[in-house]
Amino acid sequence: MEEQNNSEAIDPAVKPAPAPVPAPAPAARGTGLWLKIIAVLYAVSIVAAFVLISKADAIKKTRTKDMDISKLAALGQAKKHAVGVVEIYGAISQGNSSRAWERGSQQIAKKIRALAADKDVKAVLLDINTPGGSVGAVQEIYSAIKRAKLETKKPFIARFGEVSASGGYYVASACDLVIAQPGTITGSIGVIFSVTNLEGLMKKVGFRNEAIKSGKFKDIGSPMREMTADERKLLQGMIDDSYEQFVAAVAEGRKMTIEKTKTLADGRIFTGRQAVELGLVDKLGDLRDALDAAGEMGGIGKNPRVIRDSAPFEQLMSLMDSKLQFLGTKAMADALETAPSLEYRWYGR
Amino acid sequence: MNPINTLEALIDRPEIISGPERPEGLGRTGLLGYFAGTLGLFMFLRMQEAVPPGTLSFLTVLALVLAANFLFAGIMHLFMDLTGDGSRGGASRLFLAFGCTDFLLTLLVPLGFFSGIKAFNGFLGFCLCILLLIYARVRLVRRLYSVSANKALLSVGLPYAGLLALFFIGFFYGLVWLIWLLV
Repeated sequence: MEEQNNSEAIDPAVKPAPAPVPAPAPAARGTGLWLKIIAVLYAVSIVAAFVLISKADAIKKTRTKDMDISKLAALGQAKKHAVGVVEIYGAISQGNSSRAWERGSQQIAKKIRALAADKDVKAVLLDINTPGGSVGAVQEIYSAIKRAKLETKKPFIARFGEVSASGGYYVASACDLVIAQPGTITGSIGVIFSVTNLEGLMKKVGFRNEAIKSGKFKDIGSPMREMTADERKLLQGMIDDSYEQFVAAVAEGRKMTIEKTKTLADGRIFTGRQAVELGLVDKLGDLRDALDAAGEMGGIGKNPRVIRDSAPFEQLMSLMDSKLQFLGTKAMADALETAPSLEYRWYGR
Repeated sequence: MNPINTLEALIDRPEIISGPERPEGLGRTGLLGYFAGTLGLFMFLRMQEAVPPGTLSFLTVLALVLAANFLFAGIMHLFMDLTGDGSRGGASRLFLAFGCTDFLLTLLVPLGFFSGIKAFNGFLGFCLCILLLIYARVRLVRRLYSVSANKALLSVGLPYAGLLALFFIGFFYGLVWLIWLLV
């Protein structure tokens, strides 16, 4: 080491050794300072933004207070109250399940109860477009209306669309006001029990049904054989009894005598205008007129807010269900349905 | 090491992110970055009246930002791993590094002010901030995994593209389903 140093000093002609690699440059000193300044600015801007937003919110609230509170309250009240609308479309029957989106008589009765119990609903409008349906299902809706009227004292209004015959009219007879279009088909007050007789067809295809029964009426209404006289007599008794119930309901609802009602209750159908003349319908009008009338009867005036019975989710599920059933065999099974039933129904459509 | 020192070190010597040891204070700084960035974003959105007020609203946005970045960091690391570059970085380090880039979202607060006095377009400012954020993230991914700029850009854009594709598939399926229901 000593020698090397000496030689370097002595011999200047020798090429100097390369300079050592310089150490990496130290980090720029300004970055930390800038970051601190940015942090302070950020904190200040956050506080300023917070204050600004709070003040803007406060101004908005004050602006609301400046308005006439009583007017606002009245506006809110008027908007809050509504007319509940229940749609009764298609043949009325007891649903095959308790699914909320199915349109069976239980679901319709449930909707009627729910709307009548809603304190914002001041009147209930039944939008009816049905040829009727099975006796039990129709009476379930009828009794739901009667009970709701008794418990809540709210007015019920029936509005007829294209057809509101038989069971459709039975339901409407429980309402305080009945509105129909001039050309609506209504009436058909009566009962029907129809049995399909497939005996001839079965013989042709070589099919025979054997029924072992506990009593002679156990297979009453069977499509596999001719109806007996005793069975016909028994069924006629049932039909007469159901007919009396129908007539009594119409007479009570329309404030008519039983005798007068029976003159109209031979199963005939009427137009809406004829029905007004006969006292079966109160007045002619469309859905708008019916809503206005419901609003006035409910004490909330014309052009009321409307609450529909159907929730969007239920509508969607109903749509999906009907699609899936259509793809399946249910539609076919329904079409081939031969089981007889007692019905308040008009078969003209 | 306080977060400012960590940030200073990351800015001045970005190569430390890919070092064998995790840079000191990266965890704290990353999480603070998420918090500060989300607060800036939230204030900006409040000024535009795009989000409801309240602590719960802010916490919802923060949770959303954290969850999205956690998922994105995971996806990006997986992508790097699948393409053979995963050994150099780590998903947790990437997540925390992204937190550091979120400090850029604090710029949204002054931009919100300028937008409020109609001196600057708020949406344009927001887009600029997001572009800056993406640029910073691409730089970080490049550093962390030692990959090309294109691959870093691809890996940063991949989760967003995936989400967009999912959204469009869902939208298209919903449309077809609705048509099937109605027809």
